[in-house]
Amino acid sequence: MNVITNNNIKCTIALAALENVVDPEIGLNVIDLGLIYQLDFDFAKKKIYVTMTLTTQFCPMGESITGAIKRVLENTFIGEVVLLELVFDPPWSFERISEEGQEYLNR
Amino acid sequence: MFAAVNTGTMVKNTTHKVVLPFYLYAALSLLAGTIILFFSARSFTYHYFHPHILAIIHIMALGWGTMIILGASHQLVPVLIEKSLYSTRLAYASFILAAIGIPLLVYGFYVFNMGWPAKWGGRFVLLAVLCYVINLYKSLSKSKTKNVHAFFVLTSSLWLLLTVVFGLALVYNFNISFLPKESITYLPLHAHTGVIGWFLLLVTGVGSRLIPMFLISKYKNEKLLWVVYALINGGLLSFVILFLFIPGRSFLLIPVIAVLFALVLFGYYCYESFKLRIRKQVDEQMKTSLLSVLMMAMPLIFLISVAGWLFADKMNERMVLIYGFIIFFGWITAIIFGMTFKTLPFIVWNNVYHDKAGLGKTPNPKELFNNNLFVGMVLIYLAGFILFIIGASFAQAAMLNIAAVLLIIAATLYNWNVIKVLSHKPQKNECNYQ
Repeated sequence: MNVITNNNIKCTIALAALENVVDPEIGLNVIDLGLIYQLDFDFAKKKIYVTMTLTTQFCPMGESITGAIKRVLENTFIGEVVLLELVFDPPWSFERISEEGQEYLNR
Repeated sequence: MFAAVNTGTMVKNTTHKVVLPFYLYAALSLLAGTIILFFSARSFTYHYFHPHILAIIHIMALGWGTMIILGASHQLVPVLIEKSLYSTRLAYASFILAAIGIPLLVYGFYVFNMGWPAKWGGRFVLLAVLCYVINLYKSLSKSKTKNVHAFFVLTSSLWLLLTVVFGLALVYNFNISFLPKESITYLPLHAHTGVIGWFLLLVTGVGSRLIPMFLISKYKNEKLLWVVYALINGGLLSFVILFLFIPGRSFLLIPVIAVLFALVLFGYYCYESFKLRIRKQVDEQMKTSLLSVLMMAMPLIFLISVAGWLFADKMNERMVLIYGFIIFFGWITAIIFGMTFKTLPFIVWNNVYHDKAGLGKTPNPKELFNNNLFVGMVLIYLAGFILFIIGASFAQAAMLNIAAVLLIIAATLYNWNVIKVLSHKPQKNECNYQ
């Protein structure tokens, strides 16, 4: 998974937590789907910046997924504020699905 | 630009409060339609222009097919046009007007009172469709995306409007003869603008978006869909012109071939989407939807048979009846069965769990309905459907009654599952609320 970050340790913890956020239709978590583009941590301001995408701009489950990501990160990093930005450039593509994700879909 | 959740570029879903009443109304209409079918099964051994058959056709076409499609399209239009719905008030108005108009119209047909029940029913339905078309047009005009699916949806709504206007004109023509011929003469025109222009165009337009989406398929072919669009609309327009202005029936094969070719291309599109799917497992609901794509060919085969009779000037009314039955109880019902349980659980799940996702374990949307019940419903429905066709073909009243009972059972199971989804509440052991 290609997630850009300014803090590898915190990013690893965040990604592990985000594996619990699953797209209900596809049945894959947001990490294996490759929805997260960037995770930055601001120590001074106690803020987490998430740059992410959805499989389509008009994904009917979009609000649930973004809300769940925010809640999971806020529960993992208590006291930090999560700021989330949805981007569709570059758009999500099937190539972003991880090997584990592809194995799951090929079952 | 970062914000708490910056979803400025994300399309907002239509509220479930608008969509769900359409689903419930449609489910109850299916049950009512199958019950009327049971009490009127014998009429399927007579001519198709029978009050009870007109009532059944209209409850199936409007109460079942159109209501669920209107509900689903209020939810799906934002997905198709990549813009939020223009007005929820217009959507509510559309539901209320249709909900009042359909029973009036069906009652008018059942007792064959072309006076106030049919007229007021038709007027309410027309106003409901007008609200829908305005809402759709306004939503589309806001959208920068002009994709092929949006054209399918808008054009189909215009065919629906034309069908309803023409239907109301036929009701009036029973009392005040203002059309050159009797209303019964125009029934094929009214029926085909509805079936081809509204149902087929919408189903192909929406299906071509949803089938690859649910299969998670890499296949895209917008050019092919434009050809399908042109063939269906061209075929139907030529049918209208030929029917109204060209005497004789031999040319009517032209629109049939155009629509048949469109169906073959759409079938090819679905097959390619299936072949290039990322997710290998296909659930029962998608299988039913794909089955309904195959079932599209059945009315066409019958239409060609009926056309054969037309050339021979030996109108076979029973064949026309079976043709109509296959369309409404076969193809349209199959696609709705499949798509209901692909869309409804997600709409309800989104409402119940959208602010709880990520806080703990939540059920999968597929767990909101009983899949075994769904499979049982499909099998019973298929048995009833096939038995009814055999019964109608050989004018066997007893067989028609048994088939109608099977269809009532299937409709009851469908209602059971729909109500189960609609009444879903989070269980105590789900979600660790903060």
